[in-house]
Amino acid sequence: MTEVQTTARAQSDLSGAEQISLVDLLDRLLGTGVVLSGDIVISLAGVDLVQVRLHALICTIREDMAPPGGWTSRD
Amino acid sequence: MAEHGRYLFAIGRGIDGETVASTTGLRTAPLALVEHRGLQAVVCDVDLADFGEEALVRNLEDLRWLEEVARGHDHVVRTVGAEATIAPMRLVTILSGDASVRDRIEELHDELVDVLDRVDGRREWSVKAYAVPGREEPGPMSPRGTGSGSGAAYLQRKKEQAARRRTASERAVQVADEVHAHLAQHAVAGRRLQPQDPKLTGRTEPMILNGAYLVDVEHGEAFAAAVAEIDGRTIDATIEAQGPWPPYSFAVLE
Repeated sequence: MTEVQTTARAQSDLSGAEQISLVDLLDRLLGTGVVLSGDIVISLAGVDLVQVRLHALICTIREDMAPPGGWTSRD
Repeated sequence: MAEHGRYLFAIGRGIDGETVASTTGLRTAPLALVEHRGLQAVVCDVDLADFGEEALVRNLEDLRWLEEVARGHDHVVRTVGAEATIAPMRLVTILSGDASVRDRIEELHDELVDVLDRVDGRREWSVKAYAVPGREEPGPMSPRGTGSGSGAAYLQRKKEQAARRRTASERAVQVADEVHAHLAQHAVAGRRLQPQDPKLTGRTEPMILNGAYLVDVEHGEAFAAAVAEIDGRTIDATIEAQGPWPPYSFAVLE
């Protein structure tokens, strides 16, 4: 079965395109995209963003199966 | 006093100033355009208490924080990219100020122009193929009648199961290669991303292909039709297309 949602409008107007699932979005926003290096003030030294992504997502999914009171520290 | 950085969403050309003025960035911060040598950077202020190095390490582990920023980033990219040509930046690309943004454009100008030329008038389509469940299960079985309880028969069945699993996984690799090669012919460019873990897809069938394809805007429907066509004649896999999306997978600087 193929699920394709497309309209003439959606093809020329990205704001009308279907929403990307979070996993797909992070695949792209963390895995690829233009990477600017140099004197970026935020250097994420030693942090592999892709690892962070998977860690966060898998933790959450596991957390869903465990009792609440979890891993996030929201202020 | 709060220290701020400039969050960079995308660099592009032909971006409409009014669209930028009427769109909010992260945390309701207004968007701004930084222009240099014919290119435009889409930026907004972010508080370094939230987006500084130490804070980011903590916040990137917080799925709600990550989702809010990723959705905000995507919203801006889609909105300003709807009628313009843009190269989206990686998530949390943060610079010290507008001068630093201009320095980056100056330094990478020619490569940015190459990227923009590549994605101009094109959109990304995602195609995922999942192995059809159970297809590896049926198959010739040894007669189970006599001696099925014997050690030799048990080992024989185990060997056959292992062989079928091996065949199924070889077949999955072959199907994924064929689907990707076929769809790449219908696209300007194709890339294979890492197939997603079943824990993340929430599906039991293994993902065998996580492809991204760069397609001319006017060929979007034809591409979707090509996906439907290959799905229809591929019995070993379910093939699904989604799009059109901003050209995230094709905005990498070489």
